Amino acid sequence: MTTLALARTPERGTLVRAVCVREWREALGNRLLVAMTLLPPIVILAAGIGAVAAAAANPPSDRDVQAMYAAAPAVVGLDPKEAIQGFIATYFLILFMLIPTVVPLTMAIFSVIGEKAARTLEPLLATPVGVGELLLAKSLASTIPSVIVTWLAYGIYLLSVSAIGSQAAVRAVTAPRWVLAIIVMVPLLTMLSVNLGILISTRVNDVRVAQQIGGLVVVPVVGLGIAQVTGRVVLDNEAFLQFTVILIALDVAVFIVARLAFQRENILARWR
Amino acid sequence: MIRTEKLTKRFGSLAAVDGLDLEVREGEVFGFLGPNGAGKTTTLRLLCALIGATSGTAEVAGYRLGRQDSEIRAAVGILTEQPGLYERQSAWENLVFFATLYGLNGTTAARQAEHFLRLMGLWDRRLEAVATFSRGMKQKMAIARAALHEPRILFLDEPTTGLDPDAAKTVREFIVALRGQGRTVFLCTHNLDEADRLCDRIAFFRQAVIRIDTPDHLRAELYGRSTEIRLIPTPRAEDLVRVRAVAGVREAHLENGSIIVSASDPLRTNPLLVRTLVDGGAQVAYVIERKVHLEEVYLSIVEGQTS
Repeated sequence: MTTLALARTPERGTLVRAVCVREWREALGNRLLVAMTLLPPIVILAAGIGAVAAAAANPPSDRDVQAMYAAAPAVVGLDPKEAIQGFIATYFLILFMLIPTVVPLTMAIFSVIGEKAARTLEPLLATPVGVGELLLAKSLASTIPSVIVTWLAYGIYLLSVSAIGSQAAVRAVTAPRWVLAIIVMVPLLTMLSVNLGILISTRVNDVRVAQQIGGLVVVPVVGLGIAQVTGRVVLDNEAFLQFTVILIALDVAVFIVARLAFQRENILARWR
Repeated sequence: MIRTEKLTKRFGSLAAVDGLDLEVREGEVFGFLGPNGAGKTTTLRLLCALIGATSGTAEVAGYRLGRQDSEIRAAVGILTEQPGLYERQSAWENLVFFATLYGLNGTTAARQAEHFLRLMGLWDRRLEAVATFSRGMKQKMAIARAALHEPRILFLDEPTTGLDPDAAKTVREFIVALRGQGRTVFLCTHNLDEADRLCDRIAFFRQAVIRIDTPDHLRAELYGRSTEIRLIPTPRAEDLVRVRAVAGVREAHLENGSIIVSASDPLRTNPLLVRTLVDGGAQVAYVIERKVHLEEVYLSIVEGQTS
């Protein structure tokens, strides 16, 4: 063992893989984290499937139908039982957008605050790895499982609605703009949530406090859901495009701010 | 191997390191001693390119601080104050993860992890979660992690703190072995006995270097070289008078039944002392070089500077 200084800067792909595998092992060993990660998608999925099944089994009241027509003028003229299933199926798709805001937030917060508490950041930062690469690797370690969980939940929802729902419900959940939203907006929302989580974690030492602050990221999504249900916002193609552009801009801005906060010297000398 | 010029680190108005001038040679164990809050950890972080200097320059392992920081981090290893290990993961997973971050490929990472786990006596527990380890085992793990990539310079911050004597011995032997391989060890410690035993040179430090030298030179400069002469039965007053009259003796006094003699050249003076005492009818039981503890030197220099 006399070869001096074996070390070199690792390949980016190798680094990302190593950090992701380590974080995932750590996460899987933490039951609380696993429960907090899986509970929201399970609840939303179960509620969505249950609601579509209930609508399929029970004809809607006149009051329900009138409320639906007010919120979604596009379904006026359709068979009420068909239409209400489509309406409910669409509403739960909006709730699916909550998954990428909640699931990765917990992981991202644990990823930084956990390292702070265990004092593992200093040895990590003493390696030749750049902090930007480390931040990216940590972001991806939280983003990837969340996107997979959301896509998986959407897949199960799609299959369930196809099995129990009306034609209108199936059309609603397979509408191109929703498929595109799940494919494009879910990763964007996830990245926003992750980088916000990391940013908050740089200033806070308590996971619960960080989660409370980070929970604010769900407000716009919930607001969007309420606006859709009350008919104030119609999520057409143009609205989706606008939201996508806004999300990309927010993602870039939050990543830059998180990158600025995630500096070696800040972490070692000022994070307490 | 390490050279700094007027290296300074300020946090606001507080100068943690103030104009540090230092030269550490290749292959030496260099002790860095100072009181709590002296800026030792900040100096370590500066030299490991973990934080940036406010002013001054430094060269570490041939790389310029502030310009080649990534190269510096690849060339050095650091044992931080806290072990900082991933507690839920096994010893093996911890080491292989860090080996990967140091750019070691899979085979080399596994070979190095095995080598250091065996060296530290942790091989049999490699698959157990680090959370189940004792403090001493964690410290040995952290040392293994710092040395995993065979760094040219190893910065060790209090490596034997909290270790039992057996584990501390393992760590000290490891440091000696590193020196034997030509590696440089920069050792921060409050254990002055350990510094005395291990270090080729030591620096007394408080925001800046107060003194640098070998432990023996510092001792000799401050206290001269003392000899303890034990007589049977106890020394008489006339024995002390005779000793003081020997050429080359700077000072002599009685202490705990022995005569303590300070001479500028003990190799020349001691044979004369023994002959004088024997000729005077004294029975000499033994003559030994009396070592002043490094602690006395430390207190004299560092605390003396304060007063």
